[in-house]
Order: sequence, then structure tokens, then C-alpha cells
Amino acid sequence: MGVPLRYNLRNILVRARTSAFSAGGIALVVAATMLLAALVGGLQRMLVAAGEPRNLIVMRKGATNDGSSQLPREAAQILRAMPGVASTPEGTPLASAQLVNQPFIRVPGGGRENVLVRGVEPIAFRVHDRVQLVEGRIFRPNLGEIVVGRGAARRYGLRVGSIADFGRRQWTVVGVFDSGGTAFDSEIWADVGDVQGDTRRQGYSAVRLRVAAGIDPSDMIRRIDRDGRFTLEAKPETVYYQQQAETANALYVLVLTLAVVMATGATFGALNTMYAAVSSRTAEIGTLRALGFGRGAILLSFLTESLLLAGGGLLAGLVLALGAMVAVNTLLRGVAFSMMTFSVATVLLEPTPIGVLLGVGFAAAIGVAGGLGPAWRAANLRVIEALHRA
Amino acid sequence: MTWTGFVVRNLLRHPLRTALTTLSVALSIFLVCAVLTLPAALNALFERTASSTRISVHHEAGLSYWLPLSYVQRVKAIPGVAAVNQFTWFGGIYDEPRNMFPNFAVDPETVAEVWPDYRIDPGALERFRRIRNGALVGEETFRRFGWRLGQEVTLRGTIFPVNLTLQIVGVIPASGNPVMLWFHRTYLEEAMEPYGGLRLVGMLWLRADRPEAVDGILRQVDAMFRNAEAQVTAETEQAFFASFLSSFRELVRLVLAVGVLVVGAVVLIAANTAAMGVRERIPEIAILKSLGFRRRPILVALLAESTLIGLVGGILGAGGAYGILTALALAGKTGAGGFLGPLSGFRMSPQVALQGVAISVIVGFVAGAIPARNGARLNVVEALRRLF
Repeated sequence: MGVPLRYNLRNILVRARTSAFSAGGIALVVAATMLLAALVGGLQRMLVAAGEPRNLIVMRKGATNDGSSQLPREAAQILRAMPGVASTPEGTPLASAQLVNQPFIRVPGGGRENVLVRGVEPIAFRVHDRVQLVEGRIFRPNLGEIVVGRGAARRYGLRVGSIADFGRRQWTVVGVFDSGGTAFDSEIWADVGDVQGDTRRQGYSAVRLRVAAGIDPSDMIRRIDRDGRFTLEAKPETVYYQQQAETANALYVLVLTLAVVMATGATFGALNTMYAAVSSRTAEIGTLRALGFGRGAILLSFLTESLLLAGGGLLAGLVLALGAMVAVNTLLRGVAFSMMTFSVATVLLEPTPIGVLLGVGFAAAIGVAGGLGPAWRAANLRVIEALHRA
Repeated sequence: MTWTGFVVRNLLRHPLRTALTTLSVALSIFLVCAVLTLPAALNALFERTASSTRISVHHEAGLSYWLPLSYVQRVKAIPGVAAVNQFTWFGGIYDEPRNMFPNFAVDPETVAEVWPDYRIDPGALERFRRIRNGALVGEETFRRFGWRLGQEVTLRGTIFPVNLTLQIVGVIPASGNPVMLWFHRTYLEEAMEPYGGLRLVGMLWLRADRPEAVDGILRQVDAMFRNAEAQVTAETEQAFFASFLSSFRELVRLVLAVGVLVVGAVVLIAANTAAMGVRERIPEIAILKSLGFRRRPILVALLAESTLIGLVGGILGAGGAYGILTALALAGKTGAGGFLGPLSGFRMSPQVALQGVAISVIVGFVAGAIPARNGARLNVVEALRRLF
């Protein structure tokens, strides 16, 4: 027969402060782990979701991102005319030649940073399905008109009608777009001719093209790679963004290390609490044994108590982490930092299954590891001696 | 029994508990040190590069806007300018695309004048000037790729349509610049000849002959190009890096927030231990008081216990972090690749370790404060009654 759960609950409540402290320690561990995992999760989502499975990105061979690639104008023309490129019902090829530029922009509240300005043709909005105009209209060429991503609009205080100051001129915001939380949200899009003029550059950074239905993308990639005229390299957008996100995967290792070390520390704290609980209840344990509860029942009971504490910590930690995420995302509008491309992107913290799983896993591990030793000691107390203490 | 003996004996009364608490503190301080290393590395980078006489001149629109080459000669004429050099971002890839590191075309003649604080070996500088395709490499990059002096390496251009084969002629000490690679500007110009040549430059670096001349030079550079085809921003190296690194500020803040959570967790754990200790010792404290001990020595003894745990835990944790991070840095494993950009190859400084120990002592003190106060304020009659 088992010791009733109520016995454990009451015991936790009797020493409320101690219980709250050790559960609090566990809660902070869970919260810190989840916060870091949410940062990595947001970063991955931002990058990975930006890729369209049937889109290819074509860059200079060896370039790691479109910010550090240059293509001549002729290469873009050849790619546009390549057989196998999908086209709109009107017959325009779904191939978007783009020029990426990273000028300084003033940040409200002081300082300057690099913003990613993507010079595109109107077809870009058809090639990147996720990018949807939510306000205003698309830019017209040669007028210095721009559309800004939602994240960039928030960060730089821009809206339809406002003037943005970057590059060699001033620009008028005519629209705002949303790309579903992907990296495009932190960008500013302008007419490619305007960007070429502003940067005094002739060519492009990259070409994004949609592979027509029924055509094998890998076949297309091979054809582009083999073209001897330009040293080009094509890859699926999904692969491209996966590679961009690889650094984020390395971060998971850091998060995990941090979480393991923290959890170990919290386990030591839990051990202390539970050992103290056992020693202050020696007499009670003796009584329980004398009443006929077996060793197994005592062991289970103390283990349960430790798990209950960890469970309480887990719940508090989840609430704390979610609260912090909402606060960061709404009050601070995400975490901005520059990545491989040197321009600033804003990452929204995103609660990930992995983060929750890590939190639950660590709380459970702390509960078991912190309870097992003390429970073992409790179960093996000598009844007579224990009763002497009463 | 001496007072110190009393504190130590009390700590050893529950050796397991003391050990667990100390280890718990040590692990947390380990993390706190690791977390503090990021902002500290930013500051260190800052101070290291913050020469008080070096000035950066770049296009006011951004670093992707280049300047006419003629600007080099024009700024040279400004009084107070001791030397001028230049950076042209080549963006070359070595071997694998993911091996990204900054590589610039520079003027080999004035490297020593503009960056005397980098303490580049004079022999290496001499070879750099002499060998047409010579290159100087930051220590970390040199080690990361396992290069040797005299080795030829090929950088594939991604922005320029050329590949360059460079000979490594010397190393830039890590205290100067650990990651950059510098090669001859003229070598790049020659390679670009078939493609229309190269008459632009990424940015300029000037060095003032004395710190007092800096403000005047900044004003003169601004005035010189105010109505020119490319307008420039002239700023001290310090200001330049500050704005470059400001984009890391929010990330650093989040990481520090996590650090605060870690410290909070360990305060709770240590406070719990201290409270347990005091609770178990109520009868003893009552007896001490009835023997005539005043509040203060009792309070101090209890506080000393948890502060001592903090101190020992802090030394263990901070020392461990210092050892491990230094070993990792020596093995070239920190920085998570390109992710941290200018921070790759950072190291933990002894100051961070000291900060960790300080935080740990404070943690121990704070954690012990309330339980110790409660213990010292114990009502003797109450406590003795409970005893008998």
C-alpha cells in the first residue's frame, strides 16, 4: 500500500518557504533554458521559413549569402530566359534579379546600423509568395519609392508616407509588407534600378527563380552549374536558408550546455531540500514504517514529493518564460542583432517544442536526481532508531 | 574554540549539504562568468582597437559605398595626419564557403605607421612590403586554418571576379587584430586590370601625429568632402567600432537577462541552505544567547558561513570557467563561427573571473542575510521552551 499523496502535498505546504525556494530555483532554470531555446527557435524560423521549396537562388560560385555575391547583368538575362523557369499566366518568367545593399540607417533613439535594402523588380512579389503587401502599394521605378517589411517599419519608425534617409538620397515609403515572420520582414525593398543607381553598381547580387511544374529542380541546378559563361552556383532556397540557419544549430549546443550546468546546480539544491526533509521527519518515517508501510512505499513517497516540487517549479518556469517572451516580443519588439550579412535582423522569440521539451526534461531530471538519494535514505532508516527520535 | 573555528565547524556539520551548496554556487558562477564574457569581450575589443589617434573615413551612406581612390592623396595633405592607409573589402573565401573571415586590400607601405599598436614583427612587415602577393594574417585565422609562414593560399573572390593566390608572410598578433587578412592593394588592382580596373577604395584609415590633432582632422576631412561626389563620415576608431558593435547590444541584453536568472536561482538555493542551517540550530543559538553572547557575533558567524560558501563556490566556478574558456580559446573553438562576427575568437578576461567571485560573495551574503538576522533575533525564552 502506498503512502497517500496528501501526505506529500501537506508536507510541501507545511514548509512553504523552503518548498517555494527550491521550486523557485527549478523555475528559474526552466525559464532560462526556454528563453534561450526560444531565441534559437525564432532565429531558425526566421531563416528556414523564408525558403520556398520550388525556388532556386543563383549566386556567384562560393558566395555564402546574397549580400556578398555579384552577378553581371547578362547572367541575369540568360537565367531569365532559361527553359524550365516557371512563368505567370501573362508569360513573364518568375525570375527575380535582385541587388542587395547594406547602407547605414539611423535608429530612432540614437546610433546607426546597417539595414538590408533589396533592389527588386515587381515580379519579386510573385516569386516570394510569403511576401504580402499589407498596406499602401508597390513602388514605381525611378522615383525613389520603397516598401518596408513590418519589422523594419517598427524598428525605424516608418509608415506609408514617411521619408527614409539612407544611401545617397531620400526615399518615400509607399507600402508595408509582411512575410510571415521570416527574414524579409527586417528588409526594405526598392526598385532594382534605383538601388543600382544609388550604389553605382551595374549588375545584381543574385537571381531567384521558380522552377516550372514538372521540371526537376536538381536538373536545373546542374544546367546552371555547368554553364561555362559565368561561374554560377544554384541551390534550392530551402537549402540556402538551412545553411544560413546552421549557425543557429551550433547555438543549440551552447543552450544545451548552459541548461545542463544550470540543471545540475538546481539538482544539488533539490538534494539539500529533500535531505533536510528526510532528516527532520525521521520520527514520522519511523512511525509510518511501524504502521506497516513498506520500504518501497516510503521510497516512492519521497520521490513523489521531490517530483511534485519539480512540477511546481516547471509550471512557474513555463509561466515566467512565456511572460518574458511576450514582454520581449511586444515591448522590445524582438531581439535585433546582425548576422552573417552584417545587416540587422529582428528575431521574435518563439516558444519551440524543443524548448518546452528541454524544460520538462530538466525539471523531471532534477526531481528524480534530487529525490532519489534522500528517498533511499528514508526507505532504509532503521525503524527502532527512527522511533527513538520521536 | 575560536570564532573562526566555530564557523568552520558549523560548515562541516553537514558536509554533504555544504558541499552540494558550494557546488551549486560554483556551477552557477561558472555560467555567470561564461555569460559575462560576451559583453566583456565586446568591451575588450573596443578598448583594444580604441587607439586614440586612429581615424576612420568612410562614405556617409555606409560601408558598401566606396570612395574614389583620389581621396587617399587628398587626406594625406591635411596637417596633423601622420599616415594614411586604406581598406578594400575583398570578401574572398578560403577553401569552404563557410570559412568566412574578413580580408582586405591595404597599402603595405604605411601599415606600421597606421597600426603601430598591433606590434607586427618588423621582419614580417619588411617581407610584406617586398613580396607582391604577400599577406599578413591575424593570429586566430592563421591558427584556425593551420597555415604556415611562406604557404600560398588562394582566396576565391565573390564580389570581385578574380581569385587571388597569396603568400602568408607574417602574423598579426591576436592582441592587435586576431581575424583579419591583409594583402597588397596593387596586387588586386593588377588582377582587376582585364575587368576595367579598380579606382575605388572601401574606406580610409588615418593616424594623427598626436591625440590633440584628432578633432581638427575630423573637422577638416568633413569640410574637404562636403560638396564632393562622395560625402564622407570621419570618426575616431572608437566611435566607428561602437556603432558597428551596437547591433549586438540587444542580444547581449538578453544573454545578461539569462545570467540574472541564473544568479536568482542560486540565491534561492543558497538561502534555502542557510535557512535550514539556522532552523536546525535554534536550540544552540538560544543557548549561546543565554550564555551571554550578543546578537552581533551570532549574526556575523551565521553570515560568515554562507558568505564563505559563496567565496569558495565563486573561486571554484570562476576558476573553472576561466580555465575551460581559455583552453577552448587556445584550441580555437569559441565564437561559434561567423555568428558572432567580430567577436569570434573571444577570450575570458581575468576581470570577468574576479567579477564572478565578487558576485558569488554577494550571493552568499544576501542568501545568508535574512536567515542570519532571524537567528540572531531569536527570542531566547521561546527557543529554550521549545527545547525542553
